[in-house]
Amino acid sequence: MLIFCNINILSLFTGLVSLLVFMLALGAQALTPSHHLSPSDVDRLQAILSQPFTDLKSAYFSIVGLSKLGLSVADANGACSFIKANVDSSSVESLFYAAEASQALASCEIHVSNETRDLLHAAVSEDSTVSQIHQAVSALSSFSLPLASQEVVSALKARISKEDNVLAITLALQTASRLSQQAELGEILEEIEDLAARLDDLGGVYLQFEEGLEATALFVSAAYALSDHVDVEPPLKEDQVIQLVNSIFSKKSWDSLSEIFSVASAAAAFSNNRFHKPVIVSALGPATVSHSQPLLQLQVTDVLCQPLSSADVVVESASSVASKAAILSKTPFTLRDGIFELNFMASKPASGYYQFSVAVKGDSRLVANHVELKVKVSTKVAINNMDLSVVDKDQSIGTKTTRVEYPSKAKASFVADSHQNFAMTFQLVDETTGVELTPHQTFVRLHNQKTGQEVVFVAEPDSKNLYKFELDTAERKTEFDSMSGTYALYLMVGDATLENPVLWNVADLVLKFLEEEAPSTIQSKNLYVPKPEIQHEILFSGVLEINPPLPLFSVQWFKLGANISNFSLSPSSLLFHIGHAAMLGLMYVYWTHLDMFQTLKYLAIIGSLTFLAGNRMLAQKAVKSPLSAHHYAPKVLG
Amino acid sequence: MSDSVFSVLTRFVEEYRNRTSSKLKVIDAYLLYILLTGAFQFLYCLLVGTFPFNSFLSGFISSVGSFILAVCLRIQINPQNKGEFLSVSPERAFADFLFAHTVLHLVVVNFIG
Repeated sequence: MLIFCNINILSLFTGLVSLLVFMLALGAQALTPSHHLSPSDVDRLQAILSQPFTDLKSAYFSIVGLSKLGLSVADANGACSFIKANVDSSSVESLFYAAEASQALASCEIHVSNETRDLLHAAVSEDSTVSQIHQAVSALSSFSLPLASQEVVSALKARISKEDNVLAITLALQTASRLSQQAELGEILEEIEDLAARLDDLGGVYLQFEEGLEATALFVSAAYALSDHVDVEPPLKEDQVIQLVNSIFSKKSWDSLSEIFSVASAAAAFSNNRFHKPVIVSALGPATVSHSQPLLQLQVTDVLCQPLSSADVVVESASSVASKAAILSKTPFTLRDGIFELNFMASKPASGYYQFSVAVKGDSRLVANHVELKVKVSTKVAINNMDLSVVDKDQSIGTKTTRVEYPSKAKASFVADSHQNFAMTFQLVDETTGVELTPHQTFVRLHNQKTGQEVVFVAEPDSKNLYKFELDTAERKTEFDSMSGTYALYLMVGDATLENPVLWNVADLVLKFLEEEAPSTIQSKNLYVPKPEIQHEILFSGVLEINPPLPLFSVQWFKLGANISNFSLSPSSLLFHIGHAAMLGLMYVYWTHLDMFQTLKYLAIIGSLTFLAGNRMLAQKAVKSPLSAHHYAPKVLG
Repeated sequence: MSDSVFSVLTRFVEEYRNRTSSKLKVIDAYLLYILLTGAFQFLYCLLVGTFPFNSFLSGFISSVGSFILAVCLRIQINPQNKGEFLSVSPERAFADFLFAHTVLHLVVVNFIG
């Protein structure tokens, strides 16, 4: 028995280990972006960023945001004048917006006085917040003013230890990317890894800060800005990069201009940094090819929907889902007008589904550049050799087969009575290649136009892919309710891979059933009639019947001499007993008629009466009782 | 060994018959009745099935609850325990018993459906 237990434990253990290995193997399959910006989303981003400015802050977001998307503001001169008119030289924040925005414009110089410069320098200290340091440093850098990088670094380090939140550290990263490369940025660089560890993994699909989309997007742009500046690859794995892409680009309608700015910055960072370039591969339209549309077209873009024209897109392998036979291997796509195309029909695939494994090569930065794609090959079906015949059951009379060509209808109708079978055979082939097909839906529908009856049968193929349908009139009479008459016979053929589903009225079939069995009128079967209510049987009678202990109990009590003789007939005693009986009766009425609230109401009334009466009664009993002296003797203190 | 068990049992039954007051014996008979009723309900549920389950539960809980309340009453009115229940007279114990039963029956009838 011990050995048996051991074997069980061992098998359980190996089962668990293999499950773990299996799951790891599945996990090794690379993640691809499930959420990304579409061209219309990018247009919408651009449209919102191009709206007229309301204040200097919104001007900053719009101008700098558009420049990150590689676009420029419509009216650069007007924007420059707006900045100059609205800048407040006594506020570091205002100077920051003005400096960054004017730098993004082609030629917009803002005059900086000495006081302004001193103000900005003074803001760089351990006593300012990280946000203020970031704004001051960015403004100094954009105004091309000299700045002491090492001082900034020490100020930032001091502030990071005091302000340990995501946004502050992100701003510190952003600030560090504006400093001289000779400064000691190593410690600040390490913050990227610490911050990345704080990201929440949601279901293996999303990676984001709990502070939200904006914080995540700003982190991405800051991390890549600093990494590019010091030329050190950020410690983000490929899967993490894709999860960040999913998080940032899953929201398609944004709440505020600052959120839109952060998304645009992140998109720019993902498209243009030195280390990681996420690739988005999607089919143009449905991934379907057919003889009329033989080209498989793919869009291969970066996150800003710009096509990667320099990339090589190759089909690593393409195999049929059904037969697992490989059709293609290492076949390249050709680039035409920004779309990558492949003529799949040239390989003469049979209709069905194919699993494509596509690789995008040409840049070592590419992330998520292996994509799995399911491609459907559609075809048109042709119906050959449609032969209809009426066969006598005892086969004494030779069969007469009628051939019908699609899409015409048989001229004469067929007659079958209960001694005969009706048979139909046909073949379904691919119109172009002539290969036999077995579509998902091959039905034979018989429709009685007079009564509206409809009976549908399934036609099955045999081993040689020849479809046969046989109707035994006598055997199937229940399906038809034995209703004789003319039935129109239709053939229905359909499948996901067929471009031309078929509904073909092949012939008319006159069925003759035995007259006695036919019902006078056909009742339409109404399945949706309310069913009769289920009455709950009250099992009350059971209680009285199945109460075996009760007689035993009564006998015992009688033997013990229950004290019935000692009932006093004082009013309180009577009232008590009546009240108690009333309460028990109320319980019964509650069960049958009342609800809880009404019961409680009555119970309160009867209960209080019973209580008062009972109290009086028991008190009287206590007084009369010979033991009362013991009960009510006052407690002796001390 | 079975000898001594048997002799202990006979001794116990004899002592019970002689020493226990009739009041307590009445309650004991009632306890036995409740116990058997509860057992029968459970047996019925095992044999016939649990539909409707709420009715079975409420009936069974009613038996169990009544048993417990009767045991409490017995403890409280037993003169041998008077030392522990100085403030509770037998009449008070009986009144408590009735009140607790009212609440129990209210709940049981609500649940029995």
